Amino acid sequence: MVIGSGAGGAPLAARLAQAGLSVVVLEAGRQWSPQRDFATDERAQAGLFWNDERLSAGADPIAFGRNNSGTGVGGSTLHYTAYVPRAQPDDFQLKTEFGVGADWPISQAELVPYYDEVERVLGVSGPSPYPWGPPRAAYPLPPLPLNGAAQLMRRGCDRIGIRTSPAANAAPSSAYERPGIGPAPACTNRGFCQAGCSTGAKGSMDVTFIPVALAAGATVRSETFATGIETDSAGRVTAVVAMHDGVEARQPCRTLFLCAGAIETPRLMLLNRLGRGPVGRHFMAHTGLQVWAMFDDSVRPYKGIPGGLISEDTHRPTDADFAGGYLLQSIGVMPVTYASQVARGRGLWGQALLDHMGAYNHVAGINILGECLPYPANRVELSDELDGRGLPKPRVHFSAGENERRMSAHAERTMRAIWTEAGARDIWSFPRFAHIIGTCRMGQSDVDAVVDSRGRVFGHPNLFISDNSVFPSALSCNPALTIMALSLRTADLFLNGGD
Amino acid sequence: MQATYPVGFVRALIDTDAVTTSTRAALEARLSTPVVTVPRFFTALEFAVLQAVCARLLPGLRIDIAGEIDARLAADIGDGWRYEVLPPDRRAYQVGLAGVEQAAQGIFGRGFRVLTSDEQGTVLTAVQTNTAPGVAWQTVPAIRFFEELLAEATEIYFAHPLAQEAIGYAGMADAPGWERIGLDERDDREPQAHS
Repeated sequence: MVIGSGAGGAPLAARLAQAGLSVVVLEAGRQWSPQRDFATDERAQAGLFWNDERLSAGADPIAFGRNNSGTGVGGSTLHYTAYVPRAQPDDFQLKTEFGVGADWPISQAELVPYYDEVERVLGVSGPSPYPWGPPRAAYPLPPLPLNGAAQLMRRGCDRIGIRTSPAANAAPSSAYERPGIGPAPACTNRGFCQAGCSTGAKGSMDVTFIPVALAAGATVRSETFATGIETDSAGRVTAVVAMHDGVEARQPCRTLFLCAGAIETPRLMLLNRLGRGPVGRHFMAHTGLQVWAMFDDSVRPYKGIPGGLISEDTHRPTDADFAGGYLLQSIGVMPVTYASQVARGRGLWGQALLDHMGAYNHVAGINILGECLPYPANRVELSDELDGRGLPKPRVHFSAGENERRMSAHAERTMRAIWTEAGARDIWSFPRFAHIIGTCRMGQSDVDAVVDSRGRVFGHPNLFISDNSVFPSALSCNPALTIMALSLRTADLFLNGGD
Repeated sequence: MQATYPVGFVRALIDTDAVTTSTRAALEARLSTPVVTVPRFFTALEFAVLQAVCARLLPGLRIDIAGEIDARLAADIGDGWRYEVLPPDRRAYQVGLAGVEQAAQGIFGRGFRVLTSDEQGTVLTAVQTNTAPGVAWQTVPAIRFFEELLAEATEIYFAHPLAQEAIGYAGMADAPGWERIGLDERDDREPQAHS
């Protein structure tokens, strides 16, 4: 049984079903029909987000909802930006390199065959050769076209000597045959990845690994919310209790894979008193500072793949006063999202807000995606407040440390320099942390980890975790591709290891 | 830079096959939502204060921001998270709006609704910067309350097709896909600004 149908659950469900196992996937959200259901309207698409309330605590409280959560068959891949860089080899050895953070018990090389496979299944468009990291197989498709924000970022970077490249994005730049699935249309530049792709071009789980799983005989139960996990005296999971249509049902299972993401996975673990290690601890969120600017040029930031351009020249900056590094990404933006950030980030209102938004068509952004160190005090825990189901709401503590502050300061200087050289005015920065990572991390023992290097939970021989919660370190890149690669690896190790 | 876009271009687009059925349905629903005159969650006084606050925060088009907030709170729907330092949304709004009234009385000796636009601006700035008088702010942190209120009001405002028209957004014309996406490029169905 698999709980969660997103990037962590779907690839694994497909692999296990193809191996002939009986697979049932429980998904809290709906089964959507994107062409019929999805509107190009941010407010109408709010149903893609996990809207059960989470309490955000700490010095840098994390925003959820539209950020950092997802629901529906396909999970948060329904609204991910499709920006799919690989992690670099040194990302997995942060502690060895810098003496802080954590090493992974596995290497990047072990994931490379899975990265290759996932990129083929999704139909990733990207540059070949790729300018950074070790030599690699060519991307299945050439890059998508650059939108206005990408062209402006390239202009600024060219002038200050930062190398850029069209980015890897999980959407075909021309019609593509997804292996084992069928034809995928070329991306239409609709620009709406972050609130649902209506054309089937974006490589979300609902149009890739879920169909593979279904064809191989798996069952996906949507609108089914898992609450209980039963175990025997030896710690073996025996059954899962889940709600569907207001009715609670108990389903026995031989093996359970938790793939509910770095908030709901530890929440289920804590609710059911599972795991021996630091469950809920070491919550991380990427440094995700955005720097916005206005240009005389017309940008019309709602068009094209939002993250068109990348630079990894800042992966290990020579003048860094911090551990790790970050990547740079150009960003397009939809109007409600941008207006909301202007309100929160700049505090503009009244005529000043209307005036600022009047220049929306001239706005472009760059953001970073950077390392975040794991701190035990940053954590997910159960609060005393109950939700509509009578379950404790999760409380998420997050406070950035000195490393995150220094990295963000370095990145802000870099991005402001790029925009200044590109001819911007009215440059402003929006502090932000993106993605939910950690909380059930992978390691050698239950002293400081929750799962072993195969993804198996210490103390529970038939309970596995496959999602972003197992990441020991944040990796200085967007997590989706790595979650999917890990998911296939977890499935293969399970199939080869028996049990 | 303050450009103006052709009045009516969004309305005209919605009626063409450049807009998909699902997108048209979402926009039509928003355009035809009746204005809330009798609140379901707020008291009449709270609602009147909220209307006045929203009109000062987003003074452009007359969009029924307060009505949408009332409808959301009546249904007790959230957006997936809240600052832990704030009470649940319903309580935060009740206490916070009382706080706005307390601030108006404390600074000008009159209710928020009868203040001049400048005076209302002074009150809202005081709330935003945590310098407003009022016992409410002992239970609801003023800075976070203001941020949440402003963000919600702003999102409702700019989700409205007429507000999107005013800023030249044409993303709702989603049926054909975009051909000309680069800098200073424009597809035929996108509006041209007049300076």
